[in-house]
Amino acid sequence: MPAAARTYWLTSPCRIRRKDESLIIERDNADNVHIPVTDVRDIVACAETDLNTAVVSLLNRHRINVHLLSYYGDYAGSLLTSDTSTSGETVLAQARAAQDPQAGLAIARSIVDACAFNVRRVVDRKLLTRPYAVLQASVKTSTNQAQLMGAEGTFRRSAWEVMDTKLPDWLQLAGRSRRPPKNVGNAFISYVNGITYARVLTAVRLTPLHSGIAFLHGTMERQRHSLVLDLSEMFKPLMAERLLLRMSRRNQLKEHHFDRDTNQAMLSDAGRKLVVQTVRDEFAVTVAHRSLNRNVAYDELLYLEALALTRHCLEGTTYKPFRIWW
Amino acid sequence: MIGPDDVGGVHIKYLYHCRRQLWLYLRGIRPEHLSATVQLGEAVHDTSYTRNTPVDLGAAKLDFIDGQHWVHEVKSSTRTTPADQAQGRHYCHRLYLVGIDAQGTVLHYPKTRRTQRHPYTPEAADQALADIADVLAVATASTSPDRLTRTACRGCSFTDYCWTE
Ligand code: SF4
Repeated sequence: MPAAARTYWLTSPCRIRRKDESLIIERDNADNVHIPVTDVRDIVACAETDLNTAVVSLLNRHRINVHLLSYYGDYAGSLLTSDTSTSGETVLAQARAAQDPQAGLAIARSIVDACAFNVRRVVDRKLLTRPYAVLQASVKTSTNQAQLMGAEGTFRRSAWEVMDTKLPDWLQLAGRSRRPPKNVGNAFISYVNGITYARVLTAVRLTPLHSGIAFLHGTMERQRHSLVLDLSEMFKPLMAERLLLRMSRRNQLKEHHFDRDTNQAMLSDAGRKLVVQTVRDEFAVTVAHRSLNRNVAYDELLYLEALALTRHCLEGTTYKPFRIWW
Repeated sequence: MIGPDDVGGVHIKYLYHCRRQLWLYLRGIRPEHLSATVQLGEAVHDTSYTRNTPVDLGAAKLDFIDGQHWVHEVKSSTRTTPADQAQGRHYCHRLYLVGIDAQGTVLHYPKTRRTQRHPYTPEAADQALADIADVLAVATASTSPDRLTRTACRGCSFTDYCWTE
C-alpha cells in the first residue's frame, strides 16, 4: 500500500469541497481542513457528508473511492471511481473459477472453514472445539453454497452464545440481528462489519478482480459486490468480534456510546467516534508476515488476500484464505 | 492480445527485468500503483528537467528529444541496467517508424549526476525488433513464467503479488 496516501475517516458531519487540487473538509464548529488530493487513498465517511460534482471529478481522476456508512451504522454504499483496475483476462479467469463446480466449491469451502477458524480463535478456542469440528464435517459434505452458508450459520450461532457468556448483560447479542440491530451488541458488530466491508472493497478495487463475481455468496447477489462479501468473511471476526470482546473487557464501552429504544440500537455520536477511532487504529496494527519477511498492517492483509485470490484465478496456485496466525 | 504497435517502454523494461512481471502486467496486475518506490520515481520526473515536455508516441512515452535527435530519458535509479538501454532503443525504433532519425539515447541519472549515451546503430535496431517479438511471445504464453529467486525479486513492486502465500 502506498506510504504517502492514507485513508481519511470523517467522523463528524461535514461538507467536502474542492479547491484546485486539494480537498477542503468543512465542519460546523471546527476549522476547515485542507488535504492535498495526492495524500488520499480513500475516504470513509462515518457521518453525514455532502459533496458535489467538482469533488467527484477530482476524486475520480485520482482513483479515490468514498465509502458511506449510514446514520444507523450500516454500510450505505460507495462512490466508486469509474476507473477500475479490472483486466479482461483476469476477470475471465475469475469467472471460469467461479463457474467450475469443483474449483468454485473448493474456494467457498475454504472460506467458510477459515472464517470459523478465525471466529473460534478470537472467541474461545476450547468452548468452540466441538462446533468447529461439526462445521468442518458439514463443510466436507456440502455440495453447494446454500449448505455451506447453513453450516456457517450454525457455527456462528454457537459462537455468539459463547460470546454472550463473556459480555456484560447490556452488551449481549442474544442472537444476531441486522437492519436495524436489535441491541447495542449487534449495533457494534454491524458497524464494524460495515467498515470492514468498505476496506475490503477498496482492496479488491486495487486488483484486477471483478468485485461482483463471487464464490461463496451468489454472484451479483442483490446488486452487491459479492466477492467483497466473500473476502470480508475471514476479517470480520478479526475486527468485530475481537474488538467487542476487548473493549468490553477493558470497560471502554459505556451506555452513552449508544442510542437505543425498545427494539433497536445504534451508536451515538460519541460511540461512533470511539469505535471508528479504535477500528482505525486496529487496521494500522502490524504483524510479521511469514512469507513476505516484513511487517504488514491489518489493512494490508485485506489487499494481500485479494492478491492471493487473483493469483489463484490467474495461475492456479492454491488459495488458502486468511487465518489468524499470531 | 496485444500487437507490435501496442508494445511500449514499460513492456520492454519488464521483459528485461523479469518475464513473469511482463506476463502479469499484461493481465492487469499493476501493483506499481501502490508501490512507494514507484511514487518516488514519479516524483523525480516531476521535479527534474521541468523545462521539457514529454513526447507521446502512443504506447511509448519518452521524456524529450533534443535538436540533434537524441532521446533523453530520466531514471530514478543510480545505475544503468540493460532494461534502461532496451527502453531507449525501443523509443528510437518508435521514432524511426514515424520518420524521425533518432541518433540514440541519453540516459540521465539525476541521483548520481551521470549521463550515458547509447547510439542507435543498425544492430540496436535489429535488437529493438527482436525485443518486440519477445514481448509478444510472452504475451501469448498460456501459463505464467516462473518466479525469479527470492533475492532477485528484491525491490520489485510485484513482490507482494508473487510472494504472499
Ligand atoms: S517479484 Fe520476482 S518473480 Fe515477481 S515479477 Fe518481480 S522479479 Fe518477477
